[in-house]
Amino acid sequence: MSEAALHKDRFEAIEAFLLGTMSPEARYRFEQELTADVALREEVELQRENTLAVELAGITRTLQAARGEHRGAGPASGGGNWTTYLKYAAMVAVLVLGAVWWSTRPTENERLFAEYYVEDPGLPVPMSAVNDPVFQDAMVAYKLGDFAEARTKWGNLLQADPGNDTLRFYIANAYVAEGDAKAAIPLFQAVADAPSSAFHDKARWYLVLAYLHEGRLNELPDTILENDPVYGERVRAIRSRIHS
Amino acid sequence: MDGLLRNDPTVIRSLYAVHYSAVRQYVLKNSGTADDAQDVFQDAVTVLWMQVKEGRFNTNAEPDPGGFLFRVAKFKWLDVVRSAAHRNMRVLHNENSVPHVLEGDHDIEERILRLREVYGKLDDKCRQVLDQFYFERKDLASIAADMGVEEESIRTIKYRCMMKLRAFRRTIGGEERKAK
Repeated sequence: MSEAALHKDRFEAIEAFLLGTMSPEARYRFEQELTADVALREEVELQRENTLAVELAGITRTLQAARGEHRGAGPASGGGNWTTYLKYAAMVAVLVLGAVWWSTRPTENERLFAEYYVEDPGLPVPMSAVNDPVFQDAMVAYKLGDFAEARTKWGNLLQADPGNDTLRFYIANAYVAEGDAKAAIPLFQAVADAPSSAFHDKARWYLVLAYLHEGRLNELPDTILENDPVYGERVRAIRSRIHS
Repeated sequence: MDGLLRNDPTVIRSLYAVHYSAVRQYVLKNSGTADDAQDVFQDAVTVLWMQVKEGRFNTNAEPDPGGFLFRVAKFKWLDVVRSAAHRNMRVLHNENSVPHVLEGDHDIEERILRLREVYGKLDDKCRQVLDQFYFERKDLASIAADMGVEEESIRTIKYRCMMKLRAFRRTIGGEERKAK
C-alpha cells in the first residue's frame, strides 16, 4: 500500500468499482489496470475492508433492532406492595422534575433564540479547492460540527488577514454554534458595519440573535433590519414578543 | 442472498422470524437463557453476512441459510459452554458428534473485531454520512438534502472520512509489520 495520499479521483474510481457503479467500459479498463498494478490492488483491498467496516456496523444495528422485536415479554410484575412503591416513586419523581424544570426553565430570550436560530450551513466545500486548503479544512470541520477546530484554523488565518469578513463571519458562527454568543458579537458587529461585505445582511441578522441570546437586544438600534425583505419580519416579531 | 448483499433490513428481520426459534430452543435446552440465544444468533447472522459479502457462502451446497445459522449458533454456544465460566453447565446434546463445519471461524471473528475497531475510529458525523452512503446505499443528493448541506460537501466529507480510516489502517499495518 502506498504511503502517499490517495487522490480523490482514484478513491472514487475504486469506490465505483467496489460498489458496482462503474460503466462496463470503465470497469474493463480498471480490471486491466488491477492485473498490472500491485499498489492499486492493495488500495482496493483496503477500501473494501473499510467499506465492509461501515456495512458491518449497519448490520449490527439492524440486528439489534430485530433483537428488540423478538424479545419476549418480561417477567410478570411483582405484588401489590411493589406496585404501590413504584407509584409513590413516580409521584416523587414528577414533583422533583417539576421543581428542577421550574428553576432551570429557559427565559423568553432563550426560547426566542432557540425558535429563530438556525446554524449557518457554511460555504460549499468543493473537492477541487486547492487555493485555500486550510480554509476548506476548517469549513469541513464546521460542517461536521467540530466548531472548536474550525475556529482555531480560521483564527490562524484571521491573524494573517485581520480584515477578512468571511473569516470573521464564520468564526462568529462557530462561536454561536458552541453557545458562546457573547464572543461572536464583536465579530458579527465588524461584518455588520461593512455594507460592502457579502455577509453584511446575514451578519446583522446573527447579531440580532446573538444580542437576543445575551438578553441585550435593547442595546441594538430599533431600526436594525427593520425594512429588510428577508429578516425584517422576523426581527419585528421577536421585538413584539419581547415587549408583550 | 441478494438481500444480504444489499444489506436489506427486511431480509435480516425475516432470518430472525424464520430461524431464531430453533436456535433459541437449542440454547434454552442447554443451560442458556433467551439473551444467550439472541447473542449467538446475532453472531451467526453476522458470520453469514460476512460469508455472503465475500462470496464464500455456497448457495448450491446450502440453499437454505437456516442450517448454516443453526450450526454456527450451536458451535458458538458450545464454545461458551466449554468456557471456564460455564463449566458447570449440562449439555444435553453431545457436541463431539457434530463435525466442526466452520473452518476459519475464529479468523472471521477476528476480522469482525478488527472491522468494528476500525469503525470505532469514526466520529458521529463521519458515521452519519458513511452509514447512509455505504450501508443504506443512499445517493449523495439524498444525503445532502437530509443533512441540509450541499451535495459537493457531502462528497468531500465522505472522502475525508474514508481517508481517516485509510490512515488508521495504514498505522495498524505499519505496527503489524514492525511486530513481525
